[in-house]
Amino acid sequence: MTVHTPIESRGSRIPPWALLLALVVAVTAGVYLVANLAGENPPLAIPGTTPSAPAGSAEPDPEVGQALINSATPACTACHGADLTGSGSFPSLHGVANGPVSENLQDLAAENPDNWAELWIAGEPGGPTDGIERFGMPAFADQFDANQIASMVAYLKTLP
Amino acid sequence: MTVNPGLNTRVNPKKLRPYDEPPKRRRSLIPGAPDSAATGFLVAALLWLALATGIGLLAALMRFVDFEFSIFISVPFLRFDVDFNRSLVDAAFANALVFGWLSNAGFAAATFMAPRLTGRKLFAEPLVVLGFLAWNSATLGGIALLYVFDQGPSSVLGSFPWFVEGGMAAGALIVAGSFLATVAPVLRSAYVSIWFAVIALLSVAGFTGLNALIGLLDYVIGLPDLAVALGTLLIDRATYLLWLLPMALASLYYVIPRATGQPLESNGLALLAFVALLVTAPVAVLSVAVDPAIPFLVTSAGSAATMALLFPIAITVVNLVLSTRGRWTLLFGTGPVAFAAVSMAFLLAAGMLDAIGTLGSVRDFVGGTDWVQGSQAWSLLGAFTFAGLAFSEHAISRVLHRDWGANVLSAAQLWSLFAGSTLAGVALMGAGMAEGAFRARAADAETIAAGVLGYHLVAFVGIGLAAIGGLAALANIFLAYTSGRPVQRAAPAQPAAASAGGH
Repeated sequence: MTVHTPIESRGSRIPPWALLLALVVAVTAGVYLVANLAGENPPLAIPGTTPSAPAGSAEPDPEVGQALINSATPACTACHGADLTGSGSFPSLHGVANGPVSENLQDLAAENPDNWAELWIAGEPGGPTDGIERFGMPAFADQFDANQIASMVAYLKTLP
Repeated sequence: MTVNPGLNTRVNPKKLRPYDEPPKRRRSLIPGAPDSAATGFLVAALLWLALATGIGLLAALMRFVDFEFSIFISVPFLRFDVDFNRSLVDAAFANALVFGWLSNAGFAAATFMAPRLTGRKLFAEPLVVLGFLAWNSATLGGIALLYVFDQGPSSVLGSFPWFVEGGMAAGALIVAGSFLATVAPVLRSAYVSIWFAVIALLSVAGFTGLNALIGLLDYVIGLPDLAVALGTLLIDRATYLLWLLPMALASLYYVIPRATGQPLESNGLALLAFVALLVTAPVAVLSVAVDPAIPFLVTSAGSAATMALLFPIAITVVNLVLSTRGRWTLLFGTGPVAFAAVSMAFLLAAGMLDAIGTLGSVRDFVGGTDWVQGSQAWSLLGAFTFAGLAFSEHAISRVLHRDWGANVLSAAQLWSLFAGSTLAGVALMGAGMAEGAFRARAADAETIAAGVLGYHLVAFVGIGLAAIGGLAALANIFLAYTSGRPVQRAAPAQPAAASAGGH
C-alpha cells in the first residue's frame, strides 16, 4: 500500500453555462480586437535611460525627439493623445510642419516663422511667448535644453 | 554473548566485541529523505515573505517621505558605497516577492504535490535540494548585486546580472526536470494541479534562462537598449502569467479538495480552465509590447487576450467554490480554505484590473504612475500570496511531522495581510489615478507630489500590515517546529503502515 491519495471529482461534464461564458468572453475580446486593428503604439519608456541630443551636436535628431516627447513630465501623450492626434480640447500635433495648430499661436508664428514651435514648447519667462494664453500647456525650458527641444520639434515635423 | 548465527562464520566474533554496537547512521550532506526539498522550499519561502514585506515597507516609506540614504560596507582593501534610492528599493522588493517568496512557495507546492498525487517518489530528491540551494543563493546574490551593478535598460524582474539569472535558471531547471520525471509516467491521467504545475515549472525555467541569455548577449555583443527593454519586459509579464498564475491555480486546485475533504466539483471544468489559460496567457504577454517598433495589432491582440484571461480565472473560482459546498463554515475560519477563498477573491479582482489596465486609453491616463504597483499589489500580495499561504497552512504540519493547525498566528496572517494588501492596492491605484488627473491638467511636479501624499501614507500603512502578516507566517512555522507535538506520518509514496493520514 502506498500513500497515494488522488483527488476525486464529482463529474467530468462541462456545464453549459461555462461554454456560454466562454462564448461571451471570446466575442468581447474579438470585438475589442477588431476595433483596435490599426493605430500606432507610443514609444517605450526605457528604464535607466534619459534620452538627450548628442553632446555638442547642433543638429536636431527626430529619433531623439521622439524619445524625449515620451519622457517629458507631464508626457506630451498625456494631453495630446497616445498618437498625438489630439484628445478632448487638446489639439493634434500632426501637421506642425505646416504651421501652428492653434489659434493662439498665429501671431507667434508670424513673428518667428522659423522657431515658433521651439519658443512655444520652451515657454521661457520674459520670452516672446509671454502674454500668450497657454491653456494648461506647461513650459519645458526647465526640463530640456535648446538642442533637445529642437529635436522634439524635428520629430513633430515628421508627423503627417 | 551470543553471536548472530546469520553472520558470516568466517568472521572472528572476538573481533566484534568492542564494536558490537549497531553501526551509526551516516547522515548525508545533502538530505534526500521524502519531502526534504518541499520542506526547504517552504521554510525559505516564509523567510523570504518576511524579508520581502520588510523591504516593501521601506519602499512604501520612501514614497511617503522622499528620501535616499547610503551605507558603506568596508572589508580590507575594499569599500562599497551602497545607495538606497527609491527605484533600487522598489526593484529589491519586487524581486524578493516574486523570486523569493512566491517562487519558493511555488516550488514547495510542486515538490509536495507530485508524490502525493502520483504515488511516485520525487525523482532525484537530493538533486532537487541542490536546485533549491542554487535558486535561493542566486536570488539572494541578485538582490545584493542590484546595488552594485547598473540595472541598465532591463525591466524590474530582469535586472539581475546574467550569471545570477543563469544560477536561477539552473535551479528551476532541476526542479522542473525532477517534477517531470516524477509525473511523466502518469501524466495523461494526472490531476489538473499537475498539468498547471508542468506549465508553470517549464515557464520559470525557460524565462529565467531567457533572461540570462539576453543579459549574456548584451554583455558580449551589446544589444540595443530597446531590444533589452522590450525582451525583459515581455519576460516580466510572462513570469506573472505563465509561472505565478498557473502555480497559484495548481495550489488552489490541490488545497481546497484536500482541506474540505471533498471531491472537486468538475474535472471537465478544471481542464477547460487549463486549456483556456494555455491559449490566452501566452498571447496576453504581448499586451506590454508597447512601442512603435511593434505592430499595433500585436499589442491589441495581447490586450484582447488579457480580457479573455478572466475566463479561466472565473471558472476556476466557480469550480472551487462549488467544491466547498457543505463545508461553508471553513470559509470563516483561519485554515487553508479561508486563505484560498481570499486568494480567489483577489484573483478575480486582479484579473479585472489587469483587463481594464490594458486598454489603451487607461494606459495613457495612468501609464508610468503608481497604478501599476497598486494593481500588482493585488495580484502579488493578494492573489498569489494567499494561494501560497493556503498551501503553507495545509503543508506545514505534514512536512514538519507536527500536530499543528490553525491558530492565532494563522488569524494574524490572514487578517493583517488581507487588510494590508487591500489598503496598499487601493491607495497605490488611487495615487495613480490622481497623478493621471494632475498630469492631464498639466500640473507641475510639486503639485502632483502634494496631491498623492495622502495615498502614499495609506499605502505605507497597508504594506506595514502586510509585513506584520509576513512575520506572523514566519513565527507560525518556527513555533510549529519547536512547539508542535511530533506525529508519525507516512512519507508520500512509501509504505503507509503507520500513516496518520491526511495528505
